[in-house]
Amino acid sequence: MDDEAFTNISGKPISLECHSHSSFCREFTVSSPKVSIGKVTVYTCCVWLLAYGVFFFTQNTAVLSSAIFITLIGMMLHIHLVKVDHETLLIIGSLGIQVSSSYASGREITTFIEMSKIKDIVINEAIYMHQIIYYLCVLLKDPSEHDTVSGVVPLFQSSKPRLNCLEKVYKSCQEILSACQ
Amino acid sequence: MGQRRRTAALKSPSSQRDSGDAAWVPNKKHNICMVSDFFYPNMGGVESHIYQLSQCLIEKGHKVVIATHAYGRRKGVRYLTNGLKVYYLPLQVMYNQSTATTCFHSLPLLRCVFVRERITVVHAHSSFSAMAHDALFHAKTMGLNTVFTDHSLFGFADVSSVLTNKLLTVSLCDTNHIVCVSYTSKENTVLRAALNPEIVSVIPNAVDPTDFTPDPTQRQHDRITIVVISRLVYRKGIDLLGGIIPELCLKYPDLHFLIGGEGPKRIVLEEVREKYQLHERVRLLGALEHKDVRGVLVQGHIFLNTSLTEAFCMAIVEGASCGLQVVSTRVGGIPEVLPEDLITLCEPTVRSLCAGLESVIAQQRSGSVPSPATIHSRVRNLYTWKNVAERTERVYDRVAGEGVLPLDRRLRRLRAHCGPVAGSIFAFVAVLDFLFLLLLQWLVPDHLMDVAVDATGPRGLWSQEKSCKSRFYSKSATKGAAGASSQ
Repeated sequence: MDDEAFTNISGKPISLECHSHSSFCREFTVSSPKVSIGKVTVYTCCVWLLAYGVFFFTQNTAVLSSAIFITLIGMMLHIHLVKVDHETLLIIGSLGIQVSSSYASGREITTFIEMSKIKDIVINEAIYMHQIIYYLCVLLKDPSEHDTVSGVVPLFQSSKPRLNCLEKVYKSCQEILSACQ
Repeated sequence: MGQRRRTAALKSPSSQRDSGDAAWVPNKKHNICMVSDFFYPNMGGVESHIYQLSQCLIEKGHKVVIATHAYGRRKGVRYLTNGLKVYYLPLQVMYNQSTATTCFHSLPLLRCVFVRERITVVHAHSSFSAMAHDALFHAKTMGLNTVFTDHSLFGFADVSSVLTNKLLTVSLCDTNHIVCVSYTSKENTVLRAALNPEIVSVIPNAVDPTDFTPDPTQRQHDRITIVVISRLVYRKGIDLLGGIIPELCLKYPDLHFLIGGEGPKRIVLEEVREKYQLHERVRLLGALEHKDVRGVLVQGHIFLNTSLTEAFCMAIVEGASCGLQVVSTRVGGIPEVLPEDLITLCEPTVRSLCAGLESVIAQQRSGSVPSPATIHSRVRNLYTWKNVAERTERVYDRVAGEGVLPLDRRLRRLRAHCGPVAGSIFAFVAVLDFLFLLLLQWLVPDHLMDVAVDATGPRGLWSQEKSCKSRFYSKSATKGAAGASSQ
């Protein structure tokens, strides 16, 4: 429905899309910016210049060809394993939560958590690298024991939106969670 | 709420406050960050001092957060009673629960804490804590006001204290205000760190009198019990205790010792017990939890403290508050702690301590000692946390009105106060720290850090909307150990 501009914790713009399919089913998609051509060029140039430097001293052409392979494989691995374009949180009251992240290569990973296992959705604080950040997470419970938390599933792990974005998602999630309890 | 007031000031790292901000308002609320290596789950005087002081300051409407290093699996952000937030930062522990110091590596995390909590005053505790010194150093680089509380006494003679004293001089020469726990400690600190006595305040520790109430029914009347509660380390004079026990046990067959605490000197006491066959009469209880201390204290008639050096000594106040006769060595700040008729002071020798104990035992036998209830009623109002918090608040008010030295004057101060060699080295380190800060500010600008949600105090977010309490779960709660809030 609406599309707003937010930033992630390192200041890159991200966008949050909220779709309200019905009163108890909502979908949130956080999209990170695409791989910029400038960044690719910079990394490629770095590897190639380094390889050329080594080649200059060793006079071994294998260095140059391996540099080409390294950049190609590196790029493929990056878009296949690291670079996430969209992260989607689909929450359906009374049924559960589906979390999916789609990589730049088109690969998609989807997990589903059923409602009986969900205790709550909360915003928590964590120390991440040399920063302290807020993140959204799903608290899991054992269906047999009600008061203990058996696990935590962090959401939007690769896009890492800032607090204002998390709050927005949190509030609409709570609306649905409270309605179905 | 008046707590976001410093937002603008924080953005200028070069430590110059705009003049409007420096206007002194006595009742303004501060955002305080207590930094020390020592905090719960570690146990001791510094830990409880930080906790109690923070709770009282929160009650007064200030915002308080605590930063300490990670203890085992306890890392991340935790909340204690009244929304007191504790950052357990993953910094490497080197020796005796004190972190390693490189002057730099803790800057990114500490800066993050200071910025996101909008800290205005950094209050570091304990001169043994490397993290406290690091935090003071970084806070001055970031242009925040600094307060330091010294909890211990030091010598001047041996190599290690000469080095520590030099470090302390460097660390404190541009700190805004220093708090000591007793006048002896103030003298000691002023001499060690070559400070101007005007910026050193004395604020004693306190005990919670409701935690330490007398209960004479717990005593056994067919014997006299001497209670000792301290860590079993050299500083606490455990070797003296090892000399006293056999001498007195020989003289008084109805004398019993009850010793609580753990430490490397336990072996001395065990040897004594073994040698003189005193297993029945000398009981070693091992490490005690704070809540169990009172249960041990009320079993005794006499409280014995054999410390060789002590800045304040909470233990004797706790003992007196439980209605015990206190016998202690006359060292450090101990003579200031209790009124003369409540304490028997001895020289730190076996003979003098034995003589003191004998006279107290004689008084106890003749029944000429005041009743536990009278002692308790006299002690209960001597040291209260409320009073400590009020006095600390006044220190913060004063500090908030002072400016922080800009870098050039700080460098000059360092070189003038700490000698040409150490001064120049640390001036260089200060410059590096400043450059590192600039780098961090370029990498992660202040405006990209989310302002932490304020959960502290009666007006905090938690108390306002109780229903939303589950909103910010601490990691400990998620692991099913909700003990973080029950400290």
